[in-house]
Amino acid sequence: MSTPDAPELRPRYGQFSTALRFSVRDQTRNRLAGLLLVLFVPLWYLVMDAMASGETLDFKLYATGEVLHVDGGHLTLISAGLNSVTMIAGFVVFDAVRKALAFDRRLVFAGYRQSTLIGAKTLAIAAVATAIALYTALAVLFFWRPTTSGWCAVLAAFAVIALTYGALGLLLGVLVKRDLEGFFLIIMGGLMDTFLQNPLGNPLANKPILEWFPSFGPMQFAAGGAFGHTALWGHLALGLVWAASFSAVGLVIFRVRTRNRTRTPHPAEGALLPAR
Amino acid sequence: MAPGSTPAPAPALQARDIHKSYGRHSVLRGADLTVAPGRLVAVVGENGAGKSTLLKILAGTLSVDSGEVTLTGTFGYCPQDPVLNAALTVEQHLRYFAAAHRLPGLDRGRELVRLLGYERYAQSVAGELSGGTRQKLNLTLALLHDPDVLLLDEPYQGFDWETYLRFWDLVDDLRTRGKAVVIITHMVFEQNRFDLLADLDDGRLTPRTASMEEHHVDA
Repeated sequence: MSTPDAPELRPRYGQFSTALRFSVRDQTRNRLAGLLLVLFVPLWYLVMDAMASGETLDFKLYATGEVLHVDGGHLTLISAGLNSVTMIAGFVVFDAVRKALAFDRRLVFAGYRQSTLIGAKTLAIAAVATAIALYTALAVLFFWRPTTSGWCAVLAAFAVIALTYGALGLLLGVLVKRDLEGFFLIIMGGLMDTFLQNPLGNPLANKPILEWFPSFGPMQFAAGGAFGHTALWGHLALGLVWAASFSAVGLVIFRVRTRNRTRTPHPAEGALLPAR
Repeated sequence: MAPGSTPAPAPALQARDIHKSYGRHSVLRGADLTVAPGRLVAVVGENGAGKSTLLKILAGTLSVDSGEVTLTGTFGYCPQDPVLNAALTVEQHLRYFAAAHRLPGLDRGRELVRLLGYERYAQSVAGELSGGTRQKLNLTLALLHDPDVLLLDEPYQGFDWETYLRFWDLVDDLRTRGKAVVIITHMVFEQNRFDLLADLDDGRLTPRTASMEEHHVDA
């Protein structure tokens, strides 16, 4: 408890605001990810649109059982957007979390409250993931003009998949030893996950097994909103469950790995523990 | 303690009979170390002698098999390999650790930057600093809260001569103000700078001067 007559001893920098600011900075300095966002997203849209436009595809909405006959180009743009978001959000968060792990451990050792650091990091990841989703959803407008509510559904789906793969990036960032393993898992995982949902050349699409993939919920929500004019909130929530699960596991591992393993408290060693 | 003798000041750092093994490989076998406030001690050991293990135990990041470490006051630790965030500038590092230690300002941090002579890099990101400057920042972060006990792991590695001398000015200032400093190193250039040199050999610490009590290193 601080005494009111000693204002000069009050900490000058709040732990939460400092950690939030520097975590956002940490995650936005990844130049390769920025380049992917600016160049890869439009290029990927262009290629996918050229490949699939004009074809009519059957897409099953699981909530209603309805099979939609949709423009393959538009559906594939959603897949391409989801895929870009998985890769970029996953990559950005994985890279930043992994590189900062030893530093975060040092911060905790120096007295940073772990829960504050975790809260700030999570919020920073959510903000960065949402920004990536917003950009990717805006870029799709160059190729396709869905209705406003349709676009909002696509944006929401992108935001949820960005959170999911951001959370996966966090989990892998605290778990795997080398860069390559993490990148491989994120890229291959995201590619399989998002493109298996698309019936374009995939005999597995519309099969129940797809329900067990993270992008199932967001893809259903985006297609339902853009083509079926329904808002499948339950499916959007399913995507959020994936995001919450990945981040919960990731944050528990983060907590363990940045834990301050100082010896048990002893009166003489009180100062060793983070000052209250 | 013999009756009538002046009571020694309470040690700032005391390790008693530390044992540590990894599986069947015994690294520390009854290491003792006592450091009084205002003293400077070097723990010297060859590669593989168990320096890192002892250091982690003293820092409290590794548990002991048996023995006890007690520490009085605040504690600062400078790791051998700089632990920094490549995306943040020197100034931002100071702010981050000021938040960690709940410091009222950056005065001490800026003073350390000046004392170690790298103030022109205040706005440079850590990822673009030279090895020596990274090491200076690494040391600055350990000293930021002006700890009572300071544990430095090979602190002057990569320092040029001028910085090496500045480093010793800094350490002298710390000692004058009653801070206990332990430097862990595989090589000591100037023995006379230290109050005590303790050789880590065969899992135990032995004072280099023969007059000391057997196997118990006091400073």
